Amino acid sequence: MSDPWFVIVVLAIATFSIRIGGVLLGQKLPNTGPWARALNSLPGCLIISLVSVLLLSGGPNEWIAGSIALAVAWFTKNLPLTMVAGIAAIYLLRL
Amino acid sequence: MSSETPQAEFWSAVKDISPLAIGVAIYGLAFGLLAAQAAMSELQIGVMGTFVFAGASQILAVERLVAGAGAITAVVAAVAINLRMLLVTASIREVYQGRPWWQLVIGAHMTTDENWALMLATRAKGRNVGYWYLVGGGACLFLTWVISTVCGVIFANNIPEPKALGMDFAFTAAFIAIARSLWRGNKDLLPWLVSVSIVALTLLSGLLDSSWALIVGGCAGALTAGLIPSE
Repeated sequence: MSDPWFVIVVLAIATFSIRIGGVLLGQKLPNTGPWARALNSLPGCLIISLVSVLLLSGGPNEWIAGSIALAVAWFTKNLPLTMVAGIAAIYLLRL
Repeated sequence: MSSETPQAEFWSAVKDISPLAIGVAIYGLAFGLLAAQAAMSELQIGVMGTFVFAGASQILAVERLVAGAGAITAVVAAVAINLRMLLVTASIREVYQGRPWWQLVIGAHMTTDENWALMLATRAKGRNVGYWYLVGGGACLFLTWVISTVCGVIFANNIPEPKALGMDFAFTAAFIAIARSLWRGNKDLLPWLVSVSIVALTLLSGLLDSSWALIVGGCAGALTAGLIPSE
């Protein structure tokens, strides 16, 4: 089997197993107590971790554009507007 | 909170996710260009998009192949970047609860960072959306991803770099907006600070790469929240 097909098949099986594994794991964890509180907080913590990884992989331009996007998001809570502001800011900063 | 019909949820998700779908399409075209450099065919890219449907891992795997790293190395790196999906699907367990097996299969496969986060942000604004909102957003991204990646291979010559357009920042800005919507006030302060600090420490010290820093940071924040007694 050539390299691309090997990668496609193994990655497809592994990725689906991970996704369905999380679905099944979620059904097994308790509905109250510390584990439930942890699971309820997990989405916010994952997203803020993702934002941290993305910004730390960049430099000063990304940090300034990130601050501008945060300011727009904070006051408007508007997704498209925040995206437009962030993209425009990084575009202008890199000119 | 009143529940919406499955159809209404599905189509409102398609509408809400469209700004993110534009970003996905641009990345899809760029990925197709990369795949052409790896001498992958339209068929291979179409099959990959359909059955893997995890953009960052696909880009990483093909980028490793182009770099001559070998198939095993490419798969290991790509699987590592997808391990977070275990936490992503686990964190919305109520969405899948009591669903027949085929809906679990579709729902799991259609879950990506973007439609998962968008569903949570929409809920935080007070709308009672769930499974069909998730699947509607996922289906829109799925079609966008498969079509744009295949088009990228076909039209491999005339495609701009996402970075030249500032589009590499589209998802960073989107996740900042979604984090803002998920902010529940003071009770999130300590868990979020723990997450950010762990990511910064592990990443900047070189202890972990970004795939693992993200997972460890997310878990550390969530466990902190679990250990704080509720009011």
